[in-house]
Amino acid sequence: MQTKIKTILAIFILFVSASSCDNYLDLRPQDGIVRDEFWKTKEDIQGAVIGIYSSMLNSPPGVSDLTMSQYLFMYGELRADMIAAGANVTEDERDIMNSNIIASNELTSWAAFYRTINYCNTVIDLAPAVKNEDPTLTQVQLNNFLSEALAIRAYLYFTLARTFKDVPLKLTPTLTDKENFQIPVSPQSAIFDQVIKDLKLADEYAVTDYGNDASNKGRITTYAINAMLADVYLWTGKYQEALDATTKVTGSGKFSLIPASNNTWYNTVYAKGNSTESIFELQFTTSNLGPFYSIFYQRPQFLASANALEDVFGIDFTNALNKDIRGENTSITPGSNQIYKFIGLNNDERKVLQDSDTHWFVYRYADVLLMRAEALNELEQGDGAIAIIKDIRLKRRAIQSTSEDPSPSSKNDVIDYILAERAREFAFEGKRWFDILRVARRNNYERLDILTTAAIASAPADKQQSIIAKLKDPNSHYLPINTYELYTNKALVQNPFYK
Amino acid sequence: MKRLLRLPSLLRLTLVFLIALVFQNCTEQKIKETTDETLNVTAYLRENKDYSMFLEILDITNYASFMNTYGTYTLFLPTNEAVKQYLTDVGASSLSEVPLKDLQNIAKLHILDQKVNTTAFTDGKIATPSLYGQFLITGAVNKNGVSSVTVNKSASIVTSNVEVGNGVIHVIDKVLRVADKTVAQTIEANPKLSLFTEVLKATGWYDKLNKPLSNSSDILSYLTVLAQTNDVFENTTWKNPSGVTIKLNTLANLKLRYSHLNNPLDPKDSLNLFVSYRVLPRLQYLADIAVSPALETKAPLEVITSRLEGDVILLNQEVFNGVLEKGAAIVKDLSDVTCSNGVLHYVDYNFSMKKRNPAPVYFDLCDQPEFRKLTSIFRTAIGGFKTLAKSEFSDITWDGTGSISYNKAATGTAITTGIAACWHTDVVEINNMRDGLIQNIAFKTPVIIKGKYKIWVSWRQQGTKLGFLKVFFDGVELPRQINLMESGNTTLDERVLESQGYKRYISPFTNRVNCRLVGTVDVTTTARHTITFQSQSSFSAATWLDIAEFRPIEMDQLWPKFAAGKDNLVTQ
Repeated sequence: MQTKIKTILAIFILFVSASSCDNYLDLRPQDGIVRDEFWKTKEDIQGAVIGIYSSMLNSPPGVSDLTMSQYLFMYGELRADMIAAGANVTEDERDIMNSNIIASNELTSWAAFYRTINYCNTVIDLAPAVKNEDPTLTQVQLNNFLSEALAIRAYLYFTLARTFKDVPLKLTPTLTDKENFQIPVSPQSAIFDQVIKDLKLADEYAVTDYGNDASNKGRITTYAINAMLADVYLWTGKYQEALDATTKVTGSGKFSLIPASNNTWYNTVYAKGNSTESIFELQFTTSNLGPFYSIFYQRPQFLASANALEDVFGIDFTNALNKDIRGENTSITPGSNQIYKFIGLNNDERKVLQDSDTHWFVYRYADVLLMRAEALNELEQGDGAIAIIKDIRLKRRAIQSTSEDPSPSSKNDVIDYILAERAREFAFEGKRWFDILRVARRNNYERLDILTTAAIASAPADKQQSIIAKLKDPNSHYLPINTYELYTNKALVQNPFYK
Repeated sequence: MKRLLRLPSLLRLTLVFLIALVFQNCTEQKIKETTDETLNVTAYLRENKDYSMFLEILDITNYASFMNTYGTYTLFLPTNEAVKQYLTDVGASSLSEVPLKDLQNIAKLHILDQKVNTTAFTDGKIATPSLYGQFLITGAVNKNGVSSVTVNKSASIVTSNVEVGNGVIHVIDKVLRVADKTVAQTIEANPKLSLFTEVLKATGWYDKLNKPLSNSSDILSYLTVLAQTNDVFENTTWKNPSGVTIKLNTLANLKLRYSHLNNPLDPKDSLNLFVSYRVLPRLQYLADIAVSPALETKAPLEVITSRLEGDVILLNQEVFNGVLEKGAAIVKDLSDVTCSNGVLHYVDYNFSMKKRNPAPVYFDLCDQPEFRKLTSIFRTAIGGFKTLAKSEFSDITWDGTGSISYNKAATGTAITTGIAACWHTDVVEINNMRDGLIQNIAFKTPVIIKGKYKIWVSWRQQGTKLGFLKVFFDGVELPRQINLMESGNTTLDERVLESQGYKRYISPFTNRVNCRLVGTVDVTTTARHTITFQSQSSFSAATWLDIAEFRPIEMDQLWPKFAAGKDNLVTQ
């Protein structure tokens, strides 16, 4: 009897111990690759670099924040004067539109930016060691990969510094939980310096041609880097450097403005994307759709402001056919004031939901041209600036009522004209607020009036006085650090305006 | 014991294990019984040493326990430095030296019984009065390049929106002081207003403006004064009857110019009217003036128009017969002076009464001061529902024992859902209009300038349980009735529809709402009038009314329309 029990017991123990040794005690993740197995070949690096780009299209599974392009749109447009609230606007979005911002506003979360920055940091940190493992990886290929990661990281820090002013600067990857997460903010100027340093290095390493359009416009090239450089230089007041950076793009002969034509121009530049006008775009595809169809059309959160069509693009009351091709049915649907740029197939037809793959346009050629005009104007070459504007206006069929005739020697008049032209050219492309802020803050906030005028245009009557008083404080031009970040990172100090 | 030891080792082991298990299980388990550890106001103050002095005030006045009860409060919390400064100002060395009555008033002034976040602040008063009764005003100022939100102009907010269990705390750097001077005393205290003071005294208005309020939470008895400084009088010239241009800078000259009955104390005398035209009923802070097109004055049947141009509030700026008549701007930085019985503003120009042309009035029926006090729901994005009793209303009256409610749908709700299509996404909800509950309900309109108007009434339709409403203007029945069960027409041409007395008043339109031309009236006096609705049967569902529009007959009756579910107007 006892032997029998013992035997049964022995068999049972054997069974349990044998089956428990199975690989479910192995801690390796089933849906990913651990680091020891990665970073072995150049294909691994390529995979990681492409991962950076795709992280900017949509958030990874299980993460609930908005997509990068939505943040870029909102940071660039909400506080400016061309947007109105749509029926599905959220309270947080409306508060930012009304300069009624507190730190608990969810849109001030920068998690999406730092997530992609961490991907870039990982590539920059771990890719060089692959050279020891994979002899087929050349130094040039490695440099090319590094230039992509460096440039994207620089662009994201540039956007953060323009949006939040002082932000934490982290240039090493976060690989373990033992990392120090209590990082204080670095001043805006230090961020800009780092951005310039990174972009210069990226430019040395950069690719000029990947061999196909989708990669040339969807990945970082030397032209994208120089467009970014010109932008940062304009923000930091280095106008000669900005001019030189734009020359590298305009002198390449690879870009040109496409002549205006009914439907074709819109379809080529916006609906299809990757045109010769384009420098860098976030490549949404039909299998990886952007957020725009929903937020501009199906459940509209944002509309063009009531007078945008008339004030920005102008209306020719004597000839309805004479119109700026960038206005009606390109940027705005007249009547309903919907933002049309990201949802149309051509000027007459809207895309259907499953085909709504319009890209997000980070830099277009016209941007470089107008940045060049801005640099020329600051370098006392107003004539050159006006010539650039005239050329763009001609190609875009801008109408007479929006044309201005500034004296080339009057910097302020010329810059106002450039700003007006930028509003037409980049309507709803996430540029407007940064444009007016960049010009307003120049020379120690010499042009603060631009910001207050823009604010008055859209402010509710009973809050106008407060909004103007708030805007007189330069710190109010930047968003607060989100409450959650302050809670988790004790080294952060809130922007003093949002006390 | 021996037997125990004789047991097989396996069993002994099991026994030991079981005993161990029993002991272990006997340790008491600590179960957290609270669901929320957020502190209430008083507890929060006890935790933070920086605010010990205000806590002392609460302790002395016995408000400490009250501020620890559950509720929705807003506390403006002065720091210790602020309280010390207050003690220096009143010349006391410790809080115990300050009279208890003063401390109670101070404490009450810092507390509101609604939760108000800084995002709800405007350029004017906070809609909820303080427990003391006086309203607090908010704004923002820029000092040396740093902007901050201010309360009662003097105190800046240091830390905002601190959430506690029973409300929200805003920390301020100065103690708010109870305004103890009346409007008249405030005017007299300012040497730049000496001539204005003389005029007030000569016309008998000084005493009227010097009357303290019997009940400080009664909004209706407050007064607003638009004063002009000596400089403004100095810059005003007039050609006297003998053809000589004189300055209106003395009381004698003003009497000469205005006092046509030679008795300034007579309310019909023009000098008296000169003053009464500058006195507005109710509390009208700049933010209120900026959003109201016409302001009622104490001069009978006369109104002041106001408009916002850029960032300047202009009074009485009108184009009349094609000529632009210059208006008076309100001097922003000096105005919004809170007094115990009203508020004082300054204007930069000697403005006078104007002939008025009829102007449209879009009267959102739920825009009532009592509803506006419901800051947590009134026109907030989230919305909500609140029923108020008959006795609470100042501008709505009805006959029975029924009740009415404010109903606001969440902003952004599809316009075909519920009341979401209505202007501002809100309606006044009148439950079961019938004999005994509410048969007749009368609303006092905003100021309507005299002239001929068409009256349009719009409502949210429902299919059953309702019926017809008769509409009366100033007690006179209007020709057309409203059928609350009739839905909007979406097919007919708009102008044809208009000729039949209907219109699609919101844009974009849905047939869930409807709008009826109830009649044309000749408004003979510029004043606030009454519009009354009378139920024609026993309704057993809620009546949802949106807007009563008074459009001058010569104006386009369709445009501008109202934005469906939003706050703006839509032009053609």
